[in-house]
Amino acid sequence: MITLPSIITLTEAAQQLAGNVVVWCTASVAERLRALVPWPVQTEAPSLDGADWLLAVGGGSLIDQAKVLRAQHSSVKLAALPTLWGSGAEASPIAVLNQDGKKVIRMGAELVPDLIVSHPEFAKTLPAELIKHACGDAWSHALEGFLSPLGTDETRADLAVVMKRMLQQPIGYADAWFELSALACAGQSKTSVGLVHGIAHTLEGVIGWGHAKLCSLYLLPVMSFNQTRSPKWPYLAEHGLDDVIVLNVMRQLFEPAVYAEALPLLKEHWMKVLRDPCSRTNSALVRPADIEFFESFQSSPVTP
Amino acid sequence: MTNKEKLQNLIQDVFLLTSEEFRFDLKRSEVETWDSFGVVSMAVGVQQTFGYHFTPEEATSIQGVDDIIKVLTGKGIAFD
Repeated sequence: MITLPSIITLTEAAQQLAGNVVVWCTASVAERLRALVPWPVQTEAPSLDGADWLLAVGGGSLIDQAKVLRAQHSSVKLAALPTLWGSGAEASPIAVLNQDGKKVIRMGAELVPDLIVSHPEFAKTLPAELIKHACGDAWSHALEGFLSPLGTDETRADLAVVMKRMLQQPIGYADAWFELSALACAGQSKTSVGLVHGIAHTLEGVIGWGHAKLCSLYLLPVMSFNQTRSPKWPYLAEHGLDDVIVLNVMRQLFEPAVYAEALPLLKEHWMKVLRDPCSRTNSALVRPADIEFFESFQSSPVTP
Repeated sequence: MTNKEKLQNLIQDVFLLTSEEFRFDLKRSEVETWDSFGVVSMAVGVQQTFGYHFTPEEATSIQGVDDIIKVLTGKGIAFD
């Protein structure tokens, strides 16, 4: 069973968080947040000396940094408010940090926030493209976690339930994405991710695109690769998930021109992709020669 | 392709070794990429190549290429 930290609204948090509350947020929402909470709002990493709560408001990167900061202050409680779904950072015991241009992954129960604060209004004004990529990010956690070689009957059953609910959502804004994304990430954290994340982690630093955009872009090619190779792929059908329908969702996320633009960099950095820990826990073995699959990959149209 | 050749190709691809670096008496301790992620990757590759799914205990107890051959031989997969 996938469990999440308790979820309360921002209005409830403003009334219920007691003691010295330190708020750390991403700059893009700072002004709006100041009008909504009774505490000072900072956009730089805060000091937690004397703090009772740290309220982290932002994307996955800021929340992951807040998780690591709080872990150094065990008496401080952490409330996480994601401004957009996708990363699931508010629900997972994993923090991915950028250190000297490298992705460093930390994991531990001490990294799980104590509380999730919900305020979907921040996401409603974001560009449609960011929203689409956030959907891809959430799907990448659910699918790669489900197909993981480290998965169990229990994790697959849990993530299948999440994916069936995700199939009911548009590739676009829906309040439900916040909860589903958190469930997907928390479920995936019990298994592993795969090649989608291995590619994203490798290319983020060289192409300058965001993690969610890369996950969204590579979901269809990687799942098409897994479809014919992974021993775990038949589990989708066993759990009542039609892979034609799932791949059609991936087709909605796929952008052929963007894929073609990134392909030379994927080829150049392919051996680095293979060394990424996530690629090495992919559902199907990824070999040096498999770059040929991605060089020749073309999406078929969405099946009606 | 013989099973020995299939295994050699698999080990080279999983652990990113050249044919010069590969030996059938290669030990886990000699291969930098044969870490815990490599164990997972190797188990996936063995399942895809030979159709046998290592138990977690088997996968973690394997200390070299010869151990892989021993386990697979025990499951009726010949390497002669």
